[in-house]
Amino acid sequence: MQSGNYSHLIRIILGIIVFAVFGFIGKKLLTPESFGVYGHFRADAIEEEAAREIRHWTNASCLSCHAYEAKIHLKGRHKTISCEFCHGPYADHVKDGKKTGTLPVKKGEDMKILCMRCHNKAIQARPGEVIKTVVMPDHLTSQKVKETHNCSQCHHVHAPLMYIEKARKITGFDAKEAL
Amino acid sequence: MDAIQHISPYLISNYVFPNDIHVHWSMMIVLYPYITGLVDGAFIVAALYYVFGVEKLKPVARFSLIFALAFLCCATLPLLLHLGRPERNLNMMITPSPHSAMAGFGYIYGISMGVLVLIILFIYRPFLVEQRLKSKGVMEILYRLLTFDSTNVSEKSLNMDKKIIKFLVAIGIPIACVLHGYVGFIFGGVKANPTWSTPLMPVIFLFSACVSGMSAIIFAYIITKTFTKQKIDMDCLKILVNTLAGFFILAFCFEMLEVFSHTYLRSGYHHMVEGLLNGPLRDSFWKYQVLYFSVVPLFLLGFICLLPIKQWLYKFTAFITSFLLLLQVLFMRWNVIIGGQLMSKSARGYTEFHPEWFDKEGIVAVIIVMAIPFIILFVLGRIFPFWEKDSVN
Amino acid sequence: MDNKISMDNKISDDRRSFIKKVLNGTIGGSLLLVFSAGAEIFKSPEDIPAQIPSLKNKEYEITKAHFAFIVDITKCIGCGSCCVADKREYNVADGYYRTWVERYLKDYDDNVYVDSPKGGLEGYQSPREDIDVKVRDTFFVPKLCNMCKEPPCVQVCPIGATFQTPDGFVLVDHKRCVGCGYCIQACPYSVRFLNPVTKTAEKCSWCYHRVRKGLQPACVSVCPTGARKFGDLNDENSEVSKILKGPGVITVLKREMGTFPGLYYIGARREVI
Repeated sequence: MQSGNYSHLIRIILGIIVFAVFGFIGKKLLTPESFGVYGHFRADAIEEEAAREIRHWTNASCLSCHAYEAKIHLKGRHKTISCEFCHGPYADHVKDGKKTGTLPVKKGEDMKILCMRCHNKAIQARPGEVIKTVVMPDHLTSQKVKETHNCSQCHHVHAPLMYIEKARKITGFDAKEAL
Repeated sequence: MDAIQHISPYLISNYVFPNDIHVHWSMMIVLYPYITGLVDGAFIVAALYYVFGVEKLKPVARFSLIFALAFLCCATLPLLLHLGRPERNLNMMITPSPHSAMAGFGYIYGISMGVLVLIILFIYRPFLVEQRLKSKGVMEILYRLLTFDSTNVSEKSLNMDKKIIKFLVAIGIPIACVLHGYVGFIFGGVKANPTWSTPLMPVIFLFSACVSGMSAIIFAYIITKTFTKQKIDMDCLKILVNTLAGFFILAFCFEMLEVFSHTYLRSGYHHMVEGLLNGPLRDSFWKYQVLYFSVVPLFLLGFICLLPIKQWLYKFTAFITSFLLLLQVLFMRWNVIIGGQLMSKSARGYTEFHPEWFDKEGIVAVIIVMAIPFIILFVLGRIFPFWEKDSVN
Repeated sequence: MDNKISMDNKISDDRRSFIKKVLNGTIGGSLLLVFSAGAEIFKSPEDIPAQIPSLKNKEYEITKAHFAFIVDITKCIGCGSCCVADKREYNVADGYYRTWVERYLKDYDDNVYVDSPKGGLEGYQSPREDIDVKVRDTFFVPKLCNMCKEPPCVQVCPIGATFQTPDGFVLVDHKRCVGCGYCIQACPYSVRFLNPVTKTAEKCSWCYHRVRKGLQPACVSVCPTGARKFGDLNDENSEVSKILKGPGVITVLKREMGTFPGLYYIGARREVI
């Protein structure tokens, strides 16, 4: 069987056209529905991102149950500190209004490390007007307490000056002045 | 570190942004431009014969095309291995972003593949028709497909084929240039990286692509002919070597021009680039890429191009030079891609890159990816004979 | 000391009796009246007062919303709360950072020493010991996504998997990202990385999911000193509006990149890159 002089050419051109048409249809079919609503992206991805699980809530969420801590925390110098920073995220503790897990309370050496994240004077980049810093263990010796003392033995973690101020009121004695 | 400190006081803390410690584009992204470069260079050799009528290149013209096809088949392999989610690769074709330098790759690659396949099928058509008439069974179906089920080899038909071949190769040249110049632009278009973001990048990539492709053709030509104890066409080899020399001089000049202008302008992030070339890349750039694999081949090329030397020495030197230049381009890719990422965007330090052996992008994977084109080449050689005189016509 | 101990007892006595009373139900009903901060026992977290008040009880208009993020370097104490909150909010894999805090040290020869061990995740517990120079100035710099108005990452993404929302956030479509890493190369601030689990690009989103619900980004919410500020620019009374309206010197990072960041810095020294 003898083919025409250009039969292969015609077949190639037809093949290319068929390929292009299929490609075009495939492209149309596979493009996500919400693509291009706001720009060259899938608009639904915005809502998907907005629907991500929230893991940290606010101090108000925590303190709404922990009323005793609320009373102290909101009055003290630590009122700007997030509950969740020290104790862990809300989502690990409560789900749909029900308690699902226990968050840790830092104790002993861990607590000291936590305090020193902010209050270590040796890190010079902490301006005095922003935060009060101390040098350890000089602070303990100057306050005439044992070097083994933990921060929480003098400072209430939620309101660091609470005991100090109360002691001052009761005794009329100011450790700083005495020095 | 000592060297870096000595060079630049701005880098003393060697601070790397925490997310810059990882080198995100590793060896697979080195291979990708290397492979497309080989395709490009080989295609240019074929184009010199089919479009520009450099008759002396006839012995390697067909081989160059098949060689280009074998490597083009594997050009996407390193990319797929590199992608975090390779199964989603079609997204590149479905929603290519008009403002991204990378988005065009799928289409440019597809078009160059189509053009190259068509060129080869047209060139081999008389041979394929002949084979079809001779063969039976599965092979017959294969040949039927490859000839588009046409057995017409009349003069009229073949004349038309010749015109089409010329047309296809002619449009193939810009496509090949776009394919590779564009790979250079993928890097050149990253403003955040001071060693990449230069308008010279596409030019450098293009010329080095030609260098690597021609070197590969010379290398393969000499090695196969020597092993099969066939005669090497010296006229063809000389043209190849001369062309290679021309392209290599251009490529090397542009590579050095980029370094020179960085060094001379001393602008912005210059201290970072200088520290990179003299620090982490001191060996791989100055020692290997520049000295061993550029300056030495340059002298060798001068030696064989300018001096009347004996044939065996010519062949031997051409063989060595082409091998060195293949390495030069590989090192250049490495230094640009891996090297460029060693600089942290903090402009204060360099990270390190240690290739893994068995990673998805590790050394073993690199060896496999580089071996596959040769297997494909071998298979293609069964269907499309490489050398002109092998084809019974 | 005696005083202190007795007071300790007093307080815990108070507490014990208080709890007892609550348990007995004697003051249970009056609990709501006692603590104004916790005046409502919230049934769900959504009931809590919004941190971005202008968004409360309003339909969110995506094409009109306009936010700003300001980092006040003069207030950052390098505690790393922000980094911890961010890691927990998104369960970020170890070794990758959506946000981090850098420590800068400058000596009298203008040499700059920067470090950020573990991105500041564990805070800065000790001064730098590896350098022995007289320190002229030292400060912390929090880093996060710059939410460029002309984001290079969006420009280079080949498939539109990272994009700019009409309200100005640069987000990643995790369902379409192929993980090519081009955006990571293109980001001049190196805030992007490839999530080792999903193998898709990831970056700080200024907590888009929180903002849409009227909450501050997690890092802003936990910052004890107010070094990180986020707010609605459509609300003239928001802190960020006032800051940006005021005379203070506001800078952005890598201005020469032409990315027009939406993240502003207060007090950034020239050494900050």
